[in-house]
Amino acid sequence: MTKRLSAKERRITIIDVAKRLFAQSGFHGVSIDEIVKEVGVSPAILYRHFSSKDELYEAVLHEFSCTRESYVEAVVVDDTSFEPVLRSMTRVFVNSIVNHPDLLKMEMHSQLEGSNASREFFLNRWKSFTDYIEFNLEELDNQGLIELRNVKAAALMYQGMIREVLLLKCLQTTDQFNDMSIDELVNQLIELFLKMIAIKK
Amino acid sequence: MSFDAELDAKGLNCPLPILRAKKAINELSSGQVLKIVATDPGSVKDFEAFCKQTGNELMSSAEAGGAYEFMIKKS
Repeated sequence: MTKRLSAKERRITIIDVAKRLFAQSGFHGVSIDEIVKEVGVSPAILYRHFSSKDELYEAVLHEFSCTRESYVEAVVVDDTSFEPVLRSMTRVFVNSIVNHPDLLKMEMHSQLEGSNASREFFLNRWKSFTDYIEFNLEELDNQGLIELRNVKAAALMYQGMIREVLLLKCLQTTDQFNDMSIDELVNQLIELFLKMIAIKK
Repeated sequence: MSFDAELDAKGLNCPLPILRAKKAINELSSGQVLKIVATDPGSVKDFEAFCKQTGNELMSSAEAGGAYEFMIKKS
Protein backbone atom coordinates (compact mmCIF):
# COMPACT_ATOMS: atom_id res chain seq x y z
CA MET A 1 0.00 0.00 0.00
CA THR A 2 1.32 3.44 -0.86
CA LYS A 3 1.86 5.91 1.91
CA ARG A 4 -0.64 8.73 2.15
CA LEU A 5 0.93 11.92 0.85
CA SER A 6 0.59 15.25 2.59
CA ALA A 7 -1.15 18.04 0.65
CA LYS A 8 2.19 19.64 -0.09
CA GLU A 9 3.75 16.41 -1.34
CA ARG A 10 0.69 15.70 -3.43
CA ARG A 11 0.92 19.13 -5.03
CA ILE A 12 4.58 18.55 -5.93
CA THR A 13 3.77 15.14 -7.42
CA ILE A 14 0.98 16.60 -9.55
CA ILE A 15 3.29 19.37 -10.80
CA ASP A 16 6.04 16.87 -11.64
CA VAL A 17 3.74 14.62 -13.62
CA ALA A 18 2.09 17.57 -15.38
CA LYS A 19 5.52 18.95 -16.29
CA ARG A 20 6.49 15.70 -17.99
CA LEU A 21 3.20 15.39 -19.86
CA PHE A 22 3.07 19.04 -20.97
CA ALA A 23 6.66 18.71 -22.23
CA GLN A 24 5.69 15.58 -24.16
CA SER A 25 2.45 16.76 -25.73
CA GLY A 26 1.97 20.48 -25.10
CA PHE A 27 -0.80 22.25 -23.21
CA HIS A 28 -3.63 21.16 -25.52
CA GLY A 29 -2.26 17.66 -25.97
CA VAL A 30 -2.81 16.70 -22.34
CA SER A 31 -6.13 16.39 -20.55
CA ILE A 32 -6.80 16.64 -16.84
CA ASP A 33 -7.98 13.02 -17.03
CA GLU A 34 -4.60 11.85 -18.28
CA ILE A 35 -2.82 13.77 -15.56
CA VAL A 36 -4.93 12.36 -12.72
CA LYS A 37 -4.63 8.87 -14.17
CA GLU A 38 -0.85 9.18 -14.27
CA VAL A 39 -0.70 10.62 -10.73
CA GLY A 40 -3.15 8.02 -9.47
CA VAL A 41 -5.65 10.35 -7.85
CA SER A 42 -9.23 11.37 -8.53
CA PRO A 43 -10.00 14.57 -10.47
CA ALA A 44 -11.53 15.99 -7.28
CA ILE A 45 -8.16 15.82 -5.56
CA LEU A 46 -6.43 17.59 -8.43
CA TYR A 47 -9.08 20.32 -8.46
CA ARG A 48 -8.53 20.80 -4.75
CA HIS A 49 -5.01 22.01 -5.64
CA PHE A 50 -5.58 23.61 -9.04
CA SER A 51 -8.85 25.10 -10.18
CA SER A 52 -8.13 24.54 -13.88
CA LYS A 53 -5.62 23.15 -16.35
CA ASP A 54 -4.45 26.72 -16.96
CA GLU A 55 -3.67 27.15 -13.31
CA LEU A 56 -1.75 23.89 -13.24
CA TYR A 57 0.23 24.91 -16.32
CA GLU A 58 1.09 28.21 -14.69
CA ALA A 59 2.23 26.40 -11.55
CA VAL A 60 4.56 24.28 -13.68
CA LEU A 61 6.03 27.39 -15.29
CA HIS A 62 6.38 28.98 -11.90
CA GLU A 63 8.46 26.01 -10.77
CA PHE A 64 10.91 26.82 -13.55
CA SER A 65 11.13 30.51 -12.92
CA CYS A 66 13.61 30.21 -10.09
CA THR A 67 16.74 31.01 -12.07
CA ARG A 68 16.53 34.72 -11.30
CA GLU A 69 18.69 34.63 -8.21
CA SER A 70 21.51 33.12 -10.22
CA TYR A 71 21.28 36.04 -12.65
CA VAL A 72 21.90 38.34 -9.73
CA GLU A 73 24.92 36.22 -8.86
CA ALA A 74 26.09 36.40 -12.47
CA VAL A 75 26.17 40.18 -12.48
CA VAL A 76 27.41 40.88 -8.98
CA VAL A 77 31.03 40.49 -10.03
CA ASP A 78 33.96 42.89 -10.00
CA ASP A 79 34.15 43.33 -13.74
CA THR A 80 30.73 44.34 -15.04
CA SER A 81 31.84 45.14 -18.58
CA PHE A 82 29.86 43.62 -21.45
CA GLU A 83 31.85 40.50 -22.21
CA PRO A 84 32.22 38.84 -18.79
CA VAL A 85 28.60 39.54 -17.83
CA LEU A 86 27.35 38.23 -21.18
CA ARG A 87 29.35 35.05 -20.63
CA SER A 88 28.10 34.50 -17.08
CA MET A 89 24.48 35.27 -17.99
CA THR A 90 24.68 32.85 -20.88
CA ARG A 91 26.06 30.17 -18.58
CA VAL A 92 23.15 30.63 -16.15
CA PHE A 93 20.60 30.51 -18.95
CA VAL A 94 22.10 27.50 -20.71
CA ASN A 95 22.36 25.60 -17.44
CA SER A 96 18.74 26.34 -16.60
CA ILE A 97 17.76 24.45 -19.78
CA VAL A 98 20.39 21.72 -19.51
CA ASN A 99 19.03 20.93 -16.05
CA HIS A 100 15.39 21.13 -17.22
CA PRO A 101 15.10 20.14 -20.90
CA ASP A 102 11.33 19.87 -20.33
CA LEU A 103 11.28 23.64 -20.23
CA LEU A 104 12.64 23.82 -23.78
CA LYS A 105 10.08 21.28 -24.99
CA MET A 106 7.28 23.25 -23.37
CA GLU A 107 8.58 26.38 -25.07
CA MET A 108 8.50 24.68 -28.47
CA HIS A 109 4.92 23.54 -27.88
CA SER A 110 3.94 26.98 -26.69
CA GLN A 111 5.30 28.56 -29.89
CA LEU A 112 2.85 26.48 -31.90
CA GLU A 113 -0.12 26.53 -29.55
CA GLY A 114 0.05 30.11 -28.45
CA SER A 115 -1.53 30.41 -25.05
CA ASN A 116 -0.88 34.03 -24.10
CA ALA A 117 0.36 33.33 -20.61
CA SER A 118 2.93 30.79 -21.69
CA ARG A 119 4.12 32.83 -24.67
CA GLU A 120 4.70 35.78 -22.40
CA PHE A 121 6.56 33.63 -19.91
CA PHE A 122 8.99 32.27 -22.50
CA LEU A 123 9.34 35.62 -24.22
CA ASN A 124 10.33 37.16 -20.91
CA ARG A 125 12.97 34.53 -20.29
CA TRP A 126 14.69 35.51 -23.52
CA LYS A 127 14.01 39.17 -22.97
CA SER A 128 16.38 39.32 -20.00
CA PHE A 129 19.05 38.42 -22.48
CA THR A 130 18.13 40.50 -25.46
CA ASP A 131 17.46 43.56 -23.29
CA TYR A 132 20.86 43.21 -21.72
CA ILE A 133 22.57 42.93 -25.11
CA GLU A 134 20.61 45.76 -26.70
CA PHE A 135 21.16 48.07 -23.78
CA ASN A 136 24.90 47.47 -23.64
CA LEU A 137 25.49 47.58 -27.38
CA GLU A 138 23.66 50.91 -27.51
CA GLU A 139 25.93 52.20 -24.76
CA LEU A 140 29.05 50.95 -26.58
CA ASP A 141 27.73 52.48 -29.78
CA ASN A 142 27.21 55.86 -28.08
CA GLN A 143 30.78 55.70 -26.82
CA GLY A 144 31.98 55.04 -30.36
CA LEU A 145 33.39 51.66 -29.37
CA ILE A 146 31.42 49.64 -31.92
CA GLU A 147 30.04 50.36 -35.37
CA LEU A 148 26.90 48.27 -35.53
CA ARG A 149 24.05 49.36 -37.74
CA ASN A 150 21.38 47.36 -36.00
CA VAL A 151 21.61 46.61 -32.31
CA LYS A 152 18.22 44.84 -32.16
CA ALA A 153 19.24 42.46 -34.96
CA ALA A 154 22.49 41.69 -33.14
CA ALA A 155 20.52 40.76 -30.01
CA LEU A 156 18.21 38.56 -32.09
CA MET A 157 21.23 36.89 -33.65
CA TYR A 158 22.57 36.05 -30.22
CA GLN A 159 19.22 34.62 -29.13
CA GLY A 160 19.04 32.49 -32.29
CA MET A 161 22.55 31.21 -31.73
CA ILE A 162 21.90 30.12 -28.16
CA ARG A 163 18.49 28.67 -28.95
CA GLU A 164 19.93 26.55 -31.77
CA VAL A 165 22.67 25.15 -29.52
CA LEU A 166 20.07 24.26 -26.90
CA LEU A 167 17.87 22.53 -29.47
CA LEU A 168 20.86 20.65 -30.80
CA LYS A 169 22.33 19.60 -27.48
CA CYS A 170 19.25 19.16 -25.29
CA LEU A 171 16.68 17.66 -27.62
CA GLN A 172 18.64 15.57 -30.09
CA THR A 173 20.50 12.43 -29.20
CA THR A 174 23.16 12.81 -31.87
CA ASP A 175 24.43 15.86 -33.67
CA GLN A 176 27.33 16.98 -35.83
CA PHE A 177 29.04 18.37 -32.72
CA ASN A 178 29.08 15.15 -30.74
CA ASP A 179 32.74 15.62 -29.88
CA MET A 180 32.07 18.99 -28.30
CA SER A 181 30.36 19.71 -25.00
CA ILE A 182 27.56 22.26 -24.90
CA ASP A 183 29.83 24.67 -22.98
CA GLU A 184 32.58 24.44 -25.59
CA LEU A 185 30.12 25.02 -28.40
CA VAL A 186 28.55 27.98 -26.61
CA ASN A 187 32.00 29.47 -25.97
CA GLN A 188 32.95 29.21 -29.63
CA LEU A 189 29.75 30.90 -30.70
CA ILE A 190 30.28 33.69 -28.17
CA GLU A 191 33.76 34.21 -29.68
CA LEU A 192 32.22 34.53 -33.14
CA PHE A 193 29.61 36.96 -31.86
CA LEU A 194 32.23 39.13 -30.15
CA LYS A 195 34.32 39.12 -33.34
CA MET A 196 31.28 40.25 -35.25
CA ILE A 197 30.46 43.19 -32.99
CA ALA A 198 34.21 44.06 -32.80
CA ILE A 199 34.45 46.16 -29.65
CA LYS A 200 37.36 48.59 -29.98
CA LYS A 201 39.78 48.33 -27.07
CA MET B 1 13.03 59.20 3.43
CA SER B 2 15.98 61.11 2.00
CA PHE B 3 18.40 59.73 -0.56
CA ASP B 4 21.60 60.77 -2.29
CA ALA B 5 21.07 59.40 -5.77
CA GLU B 6 18.16 58.10 -7.78
CA LEU B 7 18.03 55.39 -10.43
CA ASP B 8 15.17 54.99 -12.86
CA ALA B 9 15.04 51.33 -13.87
CA LYS B 10 11.46 51.39 -15.16
CA GLY B 11 10.83 49.11 -18.12
CA LEU B 12 14.07 47.20 -17.59
CA ASN B 13 14.21 43.43 -17.08
CA CYS B 14 16.46 41.46 -14.77
CA PRO B 15 19.45 41.70 -14.57
CA LEU B 16 19.63 45.24 -15.97
CA PRO B 17 18.20 47.03 -12.90
CA ILE B 18 20.73 45.15 -10.74
CA LEU B 19 23.63 46.02 -13.04
CA ARG B 20 22.71 49.68 -13.14
CA ALA B 21 22.17 49.77 -9.38
CA LYS B 22 25.59 48.24 -8.89
CA LYS B 23 27.17 50.95 -11.05
CA ALA B 24 25.24 53.69 -9.23
CA ILE B 25 26.24 52.36 -5.79
CA ASN B 26 29.90 52.27 -6.84
CA GLU B 27 29.74 56.04 -7.21
CA LEU B 28 28.35 56.59 -3.70
CA SER B 29 30.32 56.71 -0.51
CA SER B 30 29.65 54.49 2.47
CA GLY B 31 26.38 55.37 4.26
CA GLN B 32 24.83 57.14 1.28
CA VAL B 33 21.45 55.99 0.00
CA LEU B 34 20.34 55.08 -3.52
CA LYS B 35 16.68 55.18 -4.47
CA ILE B 36 15.63 52.83 -7.27
CA VAL B 37 12.33 52.72 -9.10
CA ALA B 38 11.62 49.59 -11.15
CA THR B 39 8.61 48.02 -12.85
CA ASP B 40 9.74 44.39 -13.08
CA PRO B 41 7.83 42.43 -10.36
CA GLY B 42 10.83 40.12 -10.00
CA SER B 43 12.98 43.02 -8.91
CA VAL B 44 11.69 42.63 -5.32
CA LYS B 45 13.43 39.26 -4.96
CA ASP B 46 16.35 40.41 -7.08
CA PHE B 47 17.20 43.37 -4.87
CA GLU B 48 16.86 41.23 -1.74
CA ALA B 49 19.36 38.79 -3.23
CA PHE B 50 21.56 41.62 -4.44
CA CYS B 51 21.80 43.20 -0.99
CA LYS B 52 22.41 39.85 0.66
CA GLN B 53 25.30 39.22 -1.68
CA THR B 54 26.86 42.66 -1.67
CA GLY B 55 26.36 43.45 2.01
CA ASN B 56 24.57 46.71 1.26
CA GLU B 57 21.48 47.40 3.35
CA LEU B 58 18.01 47.19 1.82
CA MET B 59 16.34 49.88 3.94
CA SER B 60 12.93 49.65 2.31
CA SER B 61 11.07 47.96 -0.48
CA ALA B 62 7.60 49.18 -1.42
CA GLU B 63 5.07 48.89 -4.21
CA ALA B 64 2.87 51.71 -5.45
CA GLY B 65 0.86 51.93 -8.64
CA GLY B 66 2.65 49.14 -10.47
CA ALA B 67 6.12 50.45 -9.63
CA TYR B 68 8.54 49.16 -7.04
CA GLU B 69 10.66 51.47 -4.96
CA PHE B 70 13.81 50.43 -3.17
CA MET B 71 16.13 52.30 -0.82
CA ILE B 72 19.60 50.85 -0.55
CA LYS B 73 22.26 52.13 1.83
CA LYS B 74 25.84 51.55 0.75
CA SER B 75 27.82 49.54 3.32
